[in-house]
Amino acid sequence: MMENNSFPGSSQVLNFCKNIFSHALRASDNVPQHIGLIMDGNRRWAKRKHVEIKEGHNAGFHSMSRALELCYEAGVSTATVFAFSIENFKRSAAEVDSLMNLARSGIKQVVQNGEMAEKFGIKIRVIGDRAMLPDDVLREVETAERITKDNTRAVLNICFPYTGRDELLYGIKATVDKTQRGELQFSDINEDEIDKHLYTGGSPPVDLLIRTSGVTRLSDFLIWQVSRRDVVIEFLDCLWPDFGSRQMAWILLKFAFHKSYSASEPDLEEEMDAISSTLEQKKQH
Amino acid sequence: MTKIQDSVLKKQDEDWKKDQRDHKRVPAITNGIVNPAKPSVGNVKRALETAILTPPDSEEVRKQYGQTQGLWSQSSGKLEYALYKTFLSILFVIYACVRYIQYEYNRVKIRILNLAYSPSNTPQLIRQDVMKLQKLPKRLAAILEKKREGDVGGGTSGLLNDGSELVAWSISAGIKHLTLYDYDGHLKRNVDEFRSSVFHKLCKYYDPTNVPKFAVRIPQWNKVYFNSANADTSEAKKVAIEISLLSNRDGRETIIDLTKTMAELCAHDEMKLSDITMKLIDSELTQLVGHEPDLLLYFGPSLDLQGFPPWHIRLTEFYWERDNDQVTYSVFIRGLKKYASCKMNVGK
Repeated sequence: MMENNSFPGSSQVLNFCKNIFSHALRASDNVPQHIGLIMDGNRRWAKRKHVEIKEGHNAGFHSMSRALELCYEAGVSTATVFAFSIENFKRSAAEVDSLMNLARSGIKQVVQNGEMAEKFGIKIRVIGDRAMLPDDVLREVETAERITKDNTRAVLNICFPYTGRDELLYGIKATVDKTQRGELQFSDINEDEIDKHLYTGGSPPVDLLIRTSGVTRLSDFLIWQVSRRDVVIEFLDCLWPDFGSRQMAWILLKFAFHKSYSASEPDLEEEMDAISSTLEQKKQH
Repeated sequence: MTKIQDSVLKKQDEDWKKDQRDHKRVPAITNGIVNPAKPSVGNVKRALETAILTPPDSEEVRKQYGQTQGLWSQSSGKLEYALYKTFLSILFVIYACVRYIQYEYNRVKIRILNLAYSPSNTPQLIRQDVMKLQKLPKRLAAILEKKREGDVGGGTSGLLNDGSELVAWSISAGIKHLTLYDYDGHLKRNVDEFRSSVFHKLCKYYDPTNVPKFAVRIPQWNKVYFNSANADTSEAKKVAIEISLLSNRDGRETIIDLTKTMAELCAHDEMKLSDITMKLIDSELTQLVGHEPDLLLYFGPSLDLQGFPPWHIRLTEFYWERDNDQVTYSVFIRGLKKYASCKMNVGK
């Protein structure tokens, strides 16, 4: 928020502002329940700053924890981040390696000494086609999930490696499999049933998607969830490492404002319809 | 902020929702907003009113609960809640003001752009604009909305007009495939009107004796119509553009239908679970709905995909103009420009 800007030096003031802000947002009762994040632009940021790509990914990781901290404080219950696409395996071996390393150390950090997992009671879930992960990374992932499995306050879904179409395929297959085993009637297959069997099943529906670095595509992320009506999609021009709590706060405020003030619209139209229909009836009489 | 306060606040928060006064206050804040997408002076006024109304309210809370229950510890939660509410309304006021300025700025920008790009019913002008671009989307999609009856360009006729205008621009730009999506399927259900509307629009753009031919496809009913309603005969099936009309039905529900079908086939042993692959689903959905568009235009104030077929938006580029609410040529051409300038690198 603006207040954060005016006192850049003092972290206490900053924290205080964050705290008040998140509580105020909570009071609005219109906080998104499930946020999707596409953290795009780490490499471009590294190039611009003339540092190694690895540094860019590192900065991106810190940026993520800043943004998530605010979200969880404000009452967001689930966040899903796009860490690694199945398509990313096409990148150079060295970069894939460094990304895997970063993921491993990142997950370790969040679990072991990161205050975030403890402070907010975050349950970490790694979703996607995990069969594609190298063994050592998979072990780390499993440890992280085991350690955090009893946390209930918030969920962090890490998509690793993931594509939306793959998820949908998985969901469809799981649903078909369920009918095979006689647990589900054909006629009972519906949207909710598929929803349940997606990787994100069990999480509340996604209601906000944020993508940075000026790209206006979904790049195969949460395609099923985000194409719903009334899902807010925010494309920002800044690169992900430059994305801070200030931008996050603004987006959350915008979300709360629009949800609070658009609630009455359908009622109004219904009212209008009701009035016009009664008028017509009167005319007929 | 201590932990106890925190937990109390949370508990109070739940109680508060049941509170009658809150119920009364919410309509007072939100009543009478016609279009929330457009901030207006009224909006700011309302937010200000909320801010002014809330402080005495918080006093009331303190008094009331201080008297009736006499427990300061309990009422302090309420007070705190009210304080946060106050702070929230201040934030909303700030937001509304900034947003109002932003909105006005965007509207002026859109107005200037509309003046700068005006096709004035001539394909040559559109052609000129497009010639400068390095690449064109092969498949273009657009989400259209039915505006309220009575508004300018509202109702079904407005929707038909918007749709046919897009067809005319696309033909002039040399785009061969156009997908028009509207949530409720008004275009689909009025396909005859739509065809004649397109025909009349094309007559304005081109020489009436030499109107480009077009085909309208409705994947849901597996139907293809050629040209305008009264020229349905023979010879010309070589068309300048193919128009697909989609609705909400072609999105998730089609995928669900596909799942049902596959489940039944599996049950009758005509198919194995391992036969369900990405390739199969992709080819089925391409047949049932169509190909993935390269560019998706949205003509509303802020992007909302409204149930557009999810399988088909994997790598689609989106374009919309902030705070715009009309189907205009400037959005169309700027979308094409954005597409021409963007770099596509899958995964890399």
